[in-house]
Amino acid sequence: MEARGVWRLALPLGIAQLLFFAAPLLLLAGTSFSTDENLTQTSLRAWREVVGDTFHIQSAINTLRLGALAVCATALLAVPLALLHLAAGPVLRRIILIAAVLPLLTSVVVRTFSWIVILGREGVINTTLMGLGLTSAPIALLQTEHGLVLALTQIEMPLMLLPLIAAMARIDPALLDASASLGGSLFRTLRRVVLPLALPGLLAGATLVFASATTAFISQGVIGGGRLNYLPALVWQNAMVVFDWPLAAAMALTLMASVLMVAGLLSLLGRGARHA
Amino acid sequence: MTEFNRRSLLAGMGAAALPLAAQAQTAMTAAVYPGGWDEALANVLAPALRARHNVSVAFDPLFAVDQIAKARAARGTPPFDVFVLDPGPRVSGIDFSLFESFDPTRLPSRGVLPDGYADAQGAAVAAQVVGIAYNPTKVPKPTGWRDLFQPQFASKLGLTGFGTTFGTISLIEMAKALGGSEANMDPLFTELRRIKPSVAAVAQPAAMPGLFQQGQIDLMYTNTYTVTLLRSRGVPIAFAVPETGAAAFVTTMHIAKGSRNIAAAYQYIDSMISTPVQTALAAAPYFFVPVNKDVTPGEDVPMRSISEINRFVTHDWSVINPLRAGWISRFNREMAG
Repeated sequence: MEARGVWRLALPLGIAQLLFFAAPLLLLAGTSFSTDENLTQTSLRAWREVVGDTFHIQSAINTLRLGALAVCATALLAVPLALLHLAAGPVLRRIILIAAVLPLLTSVVVRTFSWIVILGREGVINTTLMGLGLTSAPIALLQTEHGLVLALTQIEMPLMLLPLIAAMARIDPALLDASASLGGSLFRTLRRVVLPLALPGLLAGATLVFASATTAFISQGVIGGGRLNYLPALVWQNAMVVFDWPLAAAMALTLMASVLMVAGLLSLLGRGARHA
Repeated sequence: MTEFNRRSLLAGMGAAALPLAAQAQTAMTAAVYPGGWDEALANVLAPALRARHNVSVAFDPLFAVDQIAKARAARGTPPFDVFVLDPGPRVSGIDFSLFESFDPTRLPSRGVLPDGYADAQGAAVAAQVVGIAYNPTKVPKPTGWRDLFQPQFASKLGLTGFGTTFGTISLIEMAKALGGSEANMDPLFTELRRIKPSVAAVAQPAAMPGLFQQGQIDLMYTNTYTVTLLRSRGVPIAFAVPETGAAAFVTTMHIAKGSRNIAAAYQYIDSMISTPVQTALAAAPYFFVPVNKDVTPGEDVPMRSISEINRFVTHDWSVINPLRAGWISRFNREMAG
């Protein structure tokens, strides 16, 4: 087959993407620059409200911050676990893999609700702490940012762990032996050989966790509650309750642009690291 | 569901065997609230409609605001034939001209409804009574809306904003009890700001029953339906009528503009208000507040018949709706951080 014609194989998906992804996205952009959802008149009102309002800016910052915290927390836990997987025998490897994938098999709603049971005033953590006499009154966990980050860490963990395990599994064991025979300590081997080679997996995981945590509408609402404001809930509220579609569209695009920006930065970082 | 499928399969086989004798079944689609309503209407209304009028109904589970959004997005080709809405979204639906004009005389059962419950927009099909729900094993019975702002109650309280009908009218009643009015929410927001650091939760309306069940909150504002439903599942919960009166409103059904099943839609709404259906819906495990004058509401509902609804606090949604977007935005801001 001639290589020149291969692009035609991508036509069905390409046309579908154009029709069902690019066109609605253009419509969304058009709506954000209009006075109403019928695109009767162009207006910058919605964008002015997003950019010119500290509440909306703060909500956008909160959202990005939540994503960053979730990425840090999942990475901190996933890297040691992935190293353990690398060093483990076949049985332990399988156990780690099953434990990593298992949460993906339950719905996000169920995982989110179970965190109410754990973090609540009468939840598992508080009753344990009070039973041990470590605290006299229940401490606030539910509806706080750290509680939400804790829950998101568990909810998003597979997205970080799986790419990391895959990246580490590709490391040639001979490289580790070479490092050791050249006098590299375990820590030095880890820092100079394993982690740099696992970096693409870490960055892929970071991108997935970031995109998923910043848009985790249900978890943010149920565990975070009404005192923490994130863009996804504001988009929903403006579209569905207030019927301000231009503002909802502008916020949705802001959310998408910020997520894309961070994903772009992470991929640049990956490219930079490869050339270093 | 399996039963439904088996029945339709049997019906289909029957129709195939006897094409001349088979009477064509009309199929229609109705929006229904998820969580409770969908199950109740599928189990009670759908069989009644099939038996009475040979109409089969498919349900589209959507919250009221989602129905309005979906119908608007469809731009004239309604995704379902019948809406079911609370007063706020009902007024939005009228403003956006989403309803066919409604002729109450096409409801043979209309005599069971109180005067004014079927009009040119649609017909009332259920009532809701809103007040304070509390956990009697944890907190004393609150006497009224003002009590919620006392420290011993506020620290157990779950707050939800103006996103729902019950949330909106509860907050309006609080504003009134604090010296404000339907048009003046300032006293409410001042008090909310004061208790904000101590309240047990500020949550989305759908999360409230779960938070109550888990003991995160011991007080919330809600309808009698939620109270009865939670208690039937073993949650310690009771309904308190505030000293200023419980608030009541009706849920209405409307025919979507451009519907191709208008006759079936009237039959659907007529079956919904009929005495057998309203009786079954008022009983366990559904606990609807009936609008049918001949049906007695359940024990948690502080009225013995829908005719008593005049004693309850009601609200003018044509006044509320224009102000609501502002309140929603202000609630977000005041509660932030």
